[in-house]
Amino acid sequence: MAVTETFYDVIRRQGISRRSFVKFCNLTAASLGLGPLAATQMAEALETKPRTPVIWMHGLECTCCSESFIRSAHPLAKDIILSMLSLDYDDTIMAAAGHQAEAILVETKEKYKGQYILAVEGNPPLNEDGMFCIDGGKPFVEKLKWMAEDASAIIAWGACASWGCVQAAKPNPTQATPIDKVIRNKPIIKVPGCPPIAEVMTGVVTYITTFGRLPELDRQGRPKMFYSQRIHDKCYRRPHFDAGQFVESWDDDNARKGYCLYKMGCKGPTTYNACSTIRWNNGVSFPIQSGHGCIGCSEDGFWDQGSFYDRLTSINQFGVELNADRVGMTAAGVVGAAVAVHAAASVVKRLTTKTDA
Amino acid sequence: MTRHIVGPFNRVEGDLELGLDIEAGVVTAARVTAPTYRGFEQILVGRPALDALAIAPRICGICSVSQSIAAATALRAIAGIVPPPNGVLAANIAHAAENIADHLTHFAVFFMPDFTRRAYAGRAWYEAAVAAFAAHTGRASADILPARARLLHILGAVAGKWPHSLAFQPGGTTRALDLGARMRLSGIVEEFARCFEASVLGVAVDVLLELATPEALAAYAEETAGLLPLFLRMAADTGCDALGPGPGPLMSFGAYPSGDGPLFPAGVYEEGVGASPLDASTITEDPSHAWMAGKPTHPAAGDTRPDADKTSGYSFAKAPRLAGRPVEVGAIARQAIAGQPLIRTLLARDGGSRVTSRIVGRMLEVARLIGAMRGWIGALDANGPYCADGPARFPDGAGSGLIEAARGSLGHWVEVKSGRIARYQIVAPTTWNFSPRDEGGVPGPLEQALAGLDVGEAGAEAVAVQHIVRSFDPCMVCTAH
Repeated sequence: MAVTETFYDVIRRQGISRRSFVKFCNLTAASLGLGPLAATQMAEALETKPRTPVIWMHGLECTCCSESFIRSAHPLAKDIILSMLSLDYDDTIMAAAGHQAEAILVETKEKYKGQYILAVEGNPPLNEDGMFCIDGGKPFVEKLKWMAEDASAIIAWGACASWGCVQAAKPNPTQATPIDKVIRNKPIIKVPGCPPIAEVMTGVVTYITTFGRLPELDRQGRPKMFYSQRIHDKCYRRPHFDAGQFVESWDDDNARKGYCLYKMGCKGPTTYNACSTIRWNNGVSFPIQSGHGCIGCSEDGFWDQGSFYDRLTSINQFGVELNADRVGMTAAGVVGAAVAVHAAASVVKRLTTKTDA
Repeated sequence: MTRHIVGPFNRVEGDLELGLDIEAGVVTAARVTAPTYRGFEQILVGRPALDALAIAPRICGICSVSQSIAAATALRAIAGIVPPPNGVLAANIAHAAENIADHLTHFAVFFMPDFTRRAYAGRAWYEAAVAAFAAHTGRASADILPARARLLHILGAVAGKWPHSLAFQPGGTTRALDLGARMRLSGIVEEFARCFEASVLGVAVDVLLELATPEALAAYAEETAGLLPLFLRMAADTGCDALGPGPGPLMSFGAYPSGDGPLFPAGVYEEGVGASPLDASTITEDPSHAWMAGKPTHPAAGDTRPDADKTSGYSFAKAPRLAGRPVEVGAIARQAIAGQPLIRTLLARDGGSRVTSRIVGRMLEVARLIGAMRGWIGALDANGPYCADGPARFPDGAGSGLIEAARGSLGHWVEVKSGRIARYQIVAPTTWNFSPRDEGGVPGPLEQALAGLDVGEAGAEAVAVQHIVRSFDPCMVCTAH
């Protein structure tokens, strides 16, 4: 019976061995930062619980989330997760087409009412009655609301679904709108980034389908396990920031020494994401490692915060005030204007504490 | 006459809808619709010039490096920056990796699964097709997707992150590749070459590149085990060799620059007419059948203003024309213009581009790029610079970045005033191939390729429609942006 089918049944039917399945559970538990016990729990859940269907829909987007996802780190993880998803519906890679594909949506809505996960890549534009994104003859926003009605939870993939992303940049010609402004009565997990890191995506989807609930979220609706630290916190160039050693132009001597990219506009100090720990393309690298600053693509509104190449002037996140002043002063001696931010922060501090100054 | 809507299409990048008029089992007219629009050209105006490097690539998560390089090339032209050879080589290496990855995804994931449709059950090759190309479970996905993911480690090494890389600048690339990085790049290319030869070609790359006639290609298809030979046998059996005639002219903006000129030159090639130089000043974008306001203009003077109520419109894509004519772009165009012997003889045999020759063009291009990448990696100068400095203030001016993405010619036309973008117009490859009609009612390349197709009783459901549409490897998110 299809209704009582488990993920394990599906995985085995795809020709994936028991051994590979156990390896997958260990790998995923580790990547989610869960202990060894979790791997066993995960295996048990996948073997015994009816599988949760995942419907993957595309609104106004550029397909970068899908591109990131299908190259997730471990080929095994990709195979297993794709075999979980492919059963249902994905515009880009599914086998079914046209009416057959629409029929899958109707069937899922009826058969798995209140149980399936709706994963959304992109967002709906609301101008001109939704006409800037027409899917199967209807505005995408209608299809989205219709599928959301009976979903148990919604995954908002990427900056588009979470925040709006570049198509929502001023003047936002199509009124591209993030998912949580349109769907208000369902749990929504935001997985921002343009695109999100593949391992973050597979981790999130595996957690939800395995345990049947959303992982712990922060105030903005992001999974804490991946979005609780700034790029800057774990950046391998951080010692150079603290030492006041900065790149002054692309590929200069300082760049070759791997100095900090703060002066080149790096947004690492204000961006919450896992790029500096998980990295990209199977852990090969991430933007800062390629010599370019972070543009903060997982942050709300990153597209309208002034130039990507202007240095941040509002950072204020040194844990120890004394540290901030000392770093500011030392570095100012070395690189002059480089640390305008720190100096400014110190001035503000003085003004607020010495009102008679 | 009956009018059918085919779509939404799966296994294409983005959303696509097709209108077919069918009379007595024959397609009499086709209309292709790009049903989504985001407004990048409107969003870019008013922003600092260099911000185009972060915004414009986000048009497309599939060919973001191509978009990055087009933006960097246009800004480079305005600022008069000359990148050092290393910067050009590193960009070529990354760009080739992305283009190869696109060709492979198209082949294994998007195009070939149509041969496993039930309509073909009973053909001698059907079981082999299912084993090789069934969506998700076929051997092709199992072989090619991991190989493709490993190839894209090149983007990690050169550009940090992909899609939406940031390392491509007007002055060159931001990361100096040290000896270790260069050795890794070589390793990745060699590993990929082995997989491509073993799984797809069934022969060494050089053996494929020596095939110079349709007869030699047919003999290779009969004698060889591999995904490409299997495709060629199926294509011959299903009439793909004659399916989906292109509009005639094939165009390329030229790809992979170097001091000696591009690896694949710019130009125009038309079967029966021959090769001619490209005159980019004759390009126009015609909004007469798009949901866009305005008149046909050169992109350097064009604008993009949506008009959702326009009754003559049926797509968000404008109709690009070269000297007033629709042209086909893509790997087949690049290879024909570069004089690739097998492609030239296939074009001569068929009287122009067809479904089969489009696929062959892509695989030949992958084979040629493997050799080119080896050369570029070897040519990197350990002590040389990767990025030239630009002027302290970005100068006013206008310029264009005319490059080749995997799917064909990509142009960014940019104007900068007081350091800010005053105009930004983009014409993407699938805008050319999936263009709507123009002022004179002349259909675009796909619309022409479908007209006259004998669909028989299957009507709009005919598999041939799917073969023709996907043979162009459409990227709809680029098409209207």
